[in-house]
Amino acid sequence: MTNIDLKRTEKYAFLIYLAAVVLFTVGAWDRIFTGSVFGLRFLWIYPALVLLAALFLFLYIGRMKRCQKSGRKCAGLFFLQTMHKYRFLIEQLVERDFKIKYKRSVLGAFWSFLNPLLMMTVQYVVFSHLLNIRGNTEHYAIYLLCGIVMWNGFNDCSTQSMRSITSNAALITKVYVPKYIYPVTRVLSASINIVLSMIPLLLVTTVYGLFSTPHLYLSKAVCLIPFGLLMMLVFCVGMGFFLSSLMVFFHDIEFLWGFVSTLWMYATPIIYSLSMFEEKGIMWFVKLEQFNPLYHYIQFIRTIVLERQSPAFSEYGICLAFSLGLFLLGFFMFRKVQDRFILYL
Amino acid sequence: MSDEKKVMLRISDVSMRFRKEEDHAGSLKETVINMFAGRLKFTEFYALQHVSFDVYKGDVLGIIGRNGAGKSTILKIISGIMKPTAGSVERYGNIVPMLELGSGFDMDLSGRENVFLNGAILGYEKEFLHSKYDEILAFSELQDFINMPLRNYSSGMIMRLAFSIATVVEPEILIVDEILAVGDENFQRKSRARMMELMSGGTTVLFVSHDMNQIREMCNRVVWLDGGTVRLQGECREVCDQYKL
Repeated sequence: MTNIDLKRTEKYAFLIYLAAVVLFTVGAWDRIFTGSVFGLRFLWIYPALVLLAALFLFLYIGRMKRCQKSGRKCAGLFFLQTMHKYRFLIEQLVERDFKIKYKRSVLGAFWSFLNPLLMMTVQYVVFSHLLNIRGNTEHYAIYLLCGIVMWNGFNDCSTQSMRSITSNAALITKVYVPKYIYPVTRVLSASINIVLSMIPLLLVTTVYGLFSTPHLYLSKAVCLIPFGLLMMLVFCVGMGFFLSSLMVFFHDIEFLWGFVSTLWMYATPIIYSLSMFEEKGIMWFVKLEQFNPLYHYIQFIRTIVLERQSPAFSEYGICLAFSLGLFLLGFFMFRKVQDRFILYL
Repeated sequence: MSDEKKVMLRISDVSMRFRKEEDHAGSLKETVINMFAGRLKFTEFYALQHVSFDVYKGDVLGIIGRNGAGKSTILKIISGIMKPTAGSVERYGNIVPMLELGSGFDMDLSGRENVFLNGAILGYEKEFLHSKYDEILAFSELQDFINMPLRNYSSGMIMRLAFSIATVVEPEILIVDEILAVGDENFQRKSRARMMELMSGGTTVLFVSHDMNQIREMCNRVVWLDGGTVRLQGECREVCDQYKL
């Protein structure tokens, strides 16, 4: 394995960590300031937690440095070395997927902005004025747009990465490349779209907020959007591992997923809100939604945009648990079956 | 024989077993349940059985045999695409496979974009590709066409581009699966010269071909595979003479 420059890695790791801490502190200041854990004010624990995490980061990089010198094995180091070795390939594959998507269209990447807007307009008219599903949801247009943007992002990522192994069969059967790269690059290239579609979301919210009563304006809580997106992307990667490896053995998954994702979409409060169910007393459905990861990711963004505050800390925990849970599940499943892909492609 | 030479590849006791699923597939549910319970029924056959040979630095090793003898399978195992059922392959150098040229090409991208994509797939460094880009372009003779999408290329142009990318490196181990005849007569001569240049430049080459004249011309050692086992291996002339019989 090639040696990598861990000094530089260390520098970047701390810069990213610093940026994350700053974003989080600014975005979630109200919660940090007023929250309390076990009777202790969270404000006093928070700096200690930040320093503790920094210390952990520092110690782990130190361990990787020692491992690199002595040639011992270490999961983090192995991951970094693989990333280093294949970074050019990852870059090229992401670039390809993104370019191909809009290659023959006139408007190109502009569709990433336009699509959610058009979808929102249609659904807003249908559900708000024709079917009157909005109930008493405040700022229904924005409520809808948050849901659509997040759902489309998830759906795009999972559908793209589901096909990542089968559509790259020509490569997999000819050249050795760690197979994890294919689903991951698909999610990365699809994530460009999600990030781009955040722009119309924030733009529309700003414009809409000026003319609505009560006023809706963006608060500093928007700093927390990256965390929500990141957790959903990790979830998507896990989904990608899971679906793409299943797809190799059962091509039926492609058609089945079309159905399952539609079902999932209607089971998620995107066009309707849970308060409607609470009013009618259908509590089992409200409880069931607690087990729907997409509900939590969408609600995460809605809290930030519509309630202009950070989600509760427990929400972070739930989102993170879903992300890491599915990621690890998908990863181990993928690792177990990846050697057999070649026999079925 | 050549003990003082450095071993580049050591293939020891490699066996590859394939499973053919029995015909009655059943429902999806049944298959899934069976898969997780490990109860799927197979008929097995061995594509390779106890294959061992060493490849030394500077060797041009020919692999010959009839269709289905396991030539492609052993190349796939050597390049790491397949994991053998038993046995091991030790590699002492970077491998560049030239199995079916242009399999990493994307028809919607331009020639230039494909140079970088395909180069990345073959494991080249970014800086290396940038510095060699002009050389690749010159060798492929594509000039103005390089910025056009690949779907507008003729098949000969695609082959020329693929060959130019694949041979721009000087890999330590090169795996070649019948690709020498590429493009028109002029380019064929050029590509053959380039192959010769690569092979004489200290690169270790594994070479599969049915053309015995090419094997005789280029290889110094030959492994003859027959029905998944090594029938004979040794000096080129010896094995080739036997094979003709």
